[in-house]
Amino acid sequence: MQRERVYRYFALGFLVLLAVLGLVLPTGARSLMIQIMIFGIFAMGYDVCLGYTAQCSLGHSLFFGSGAYACVLSVMHLKAGLLTALAISVGTGFVLAALLGPICVRLSEAYFVIVTAIIAAVFHLLAMDLVWLTGGDDGLCFSIPSLKLGFGDLSLYKPLANYYFVLFFMALTYFVLARILHAPLGKIFVAIRENPKRALFLGYNVTRYKLIAFVVSGMVAALAGGLYALTLRYCSADYMGFYWSVLPVVWCLIGGQGTLVGSWIGVALMSLFQYYVSAWFTYYLLLFGVLVLIILSVSRKGILGYIASRVR
Amino acid sequence: MPEWAITVLFLLMNGLIWGLIIALIALGLTLIFGVMGIVNMAHGDLYMLGAVLAFYLLPVSGSFWIALIAVPLITAVIAGPVERFILRPYEGHPAVTMIATVGISFILQQIALATYGGIPKKIADPVDFSFTVLGVSYPGYRLLVAAIAILIIVGIYLFLYRTNYGILIRASIQDRQMASAMGINVSSVLVTTFIIGSVLAAIAGVLAAPISQVFYLMGNDVGLLSFIVVIVGGLGSLGGTLIAALTLCSLEGVLASVLSPTQAKAAIFVVMIFVLMVRPRGLFGEREG
Repeated sequence: MQRERVYRYFALGFLVLLAVLGLVLPTGARSLMIQIMIFGIFAMGYDVCLGYTAQCSLGHSLFFGSGAYACVLSVMHLKAGLLTALAISVGTGFVLAALLGPICVRLSEAYFVIVTAIIAAVFHLLAMDLVWLTGGDDGLCFSIPSLKLGFGDLSLYKPLANYYFVLFFMALTYFVLARILHAPLGKIFVAIRENPKRALFLGYNVTRYKLIAFVVSGMVAALAGGLYALTLRYCSADYMGFYWSVLPVVWCLIGGQGTLVGSWIGVALMSLFQYYVSAWFTYYLLLFGVLVLIILSVSRKGILGYIASRVR
Repeated sequence: MPEWAITVLFLLMNGLIWGLIIALIALGLTLIFGVMGIVNMAHGDLYMLGAVLAFYLLPVSGSFWIALIAVPLITAVIAGPVERFILRPYEGHPAVTMIATVGISFILQQIALATYGGIPKKIADPVDFSFTVLGVSYPGYRLLVAAIAILIIVGIYLFLYRTNYGILIRASIQDRQMASAMGINVSSVLVTTFIIGSVLAAIAGVLAAPISQVFYLMGNDVGLLSFIVVIVGGLGSLGGTLIAALTLCSLEGVLASVLSPTQAKAAIFVVMIFVLMVRPRGLFGEREG
């Protein structure tokens, strides 16, 4: 249980740090932090799939992108409020994951990665094709309504409001996911990751629990997509692209898979890396590819996983 | 014959020829997976590499046929070390190999973008004859591509099933540990198989270069299609892959007469989903031991 405590202290410290940083950071750095927080949500959701049930999905961009589109389209066409739009995002993620999950999760490891990648790629092609709905490659710009709270309105056009809005969802996602993963359900996930055959012998329906993890992860990814679209006030078919499927894997590998919050380190490092490197090097993805190979060859435990394994 | 029947016939023919090219790529993919458990996401980019190299070699060598010989050699020189020094530690873990090859795929694409540029270019048909069937003129180069592809596929079959080295490769597919225990130099078998698979993709790239455009992202579409083919045929099954490639591509060709290209692709995707629902390991995939 020592490790769990490391993760928990790290998570709380990180959240407090973010809450303080929001007040002191300049605007440019703050918008970078907002991005990091949204990706942090995405990464936590992905870790439920990769780190807890050892399902390496390469199709999460589908959930991220469709979450973003669900949010944008419901604001544009249904005149939905912000929270409703985000709820629709999460609902879309749930429906897609619940429809596609049963096909994917019973496949063997190699089939699972390939089929999830194919599914995301086909939906990406469709999103590029249905320009009347999705805006294709150019995407859709939209204006967001202000958030109606009991005591007044909150406009996300104010950077500070946007920052704490996203931070709230990050903390919420963390506490919900941490609760789920500390509950017996989470223990079953770990049992399946460590040895699916034995978990089956113990009487657990492995496919069903893998499906649950997949769906939870898809919902969180869709939430992240919705928040990302709200923050940028923009959404394009590119959000379903392959790059967005590879990113979460890299985050989890850097930060530490199976730690839930370790991926935040990966997100922060990768975002800073992208922010600074892509500014002076056009072929940024080249370095990204080299980085992937280096990370794989150094350690697959990740930074937080390494730290936790040293704590005795 | 009515007009539409002729159209469908020609679309079918185009689809079959395209299917042969895809079959070359998918055979390499499935061979690499079968022997060393690598899911090669960079396979489509090896195809792109073949086409780009052909684009550069054509003006230098002056002959398409020299390019067709030289490109596989260059690809072999690149692919060998990649397997030995980068992918070897991850073999047998499909998910990890997949991420590693995604990295390689990004590297190849960006190198192509940096050197070759982001604009699609065309290569002229290397042979300049066409002939008329049923009142429609058909480019002869496509038939030549089909003939070369069939020759290569037959060659691969003979190599795997009629030579001693082929027996070594098939033994490694069946049981790598046992093969190693019997004194087979598995390491060299692995490098050779990876090179063969990569070379197949590169040859397909050279052959396809005059038919389609040469573009640094051209591997993505083809990679997607060959992955669908491999999944439907069954990972690791050579015969299944060949059948699936020809069937799916001719289906896509015919569907393209009524649907847009993306919709045709979506239709192929639906076929794949149905196959997976009925047979989770593909049509000809082997049962898990």
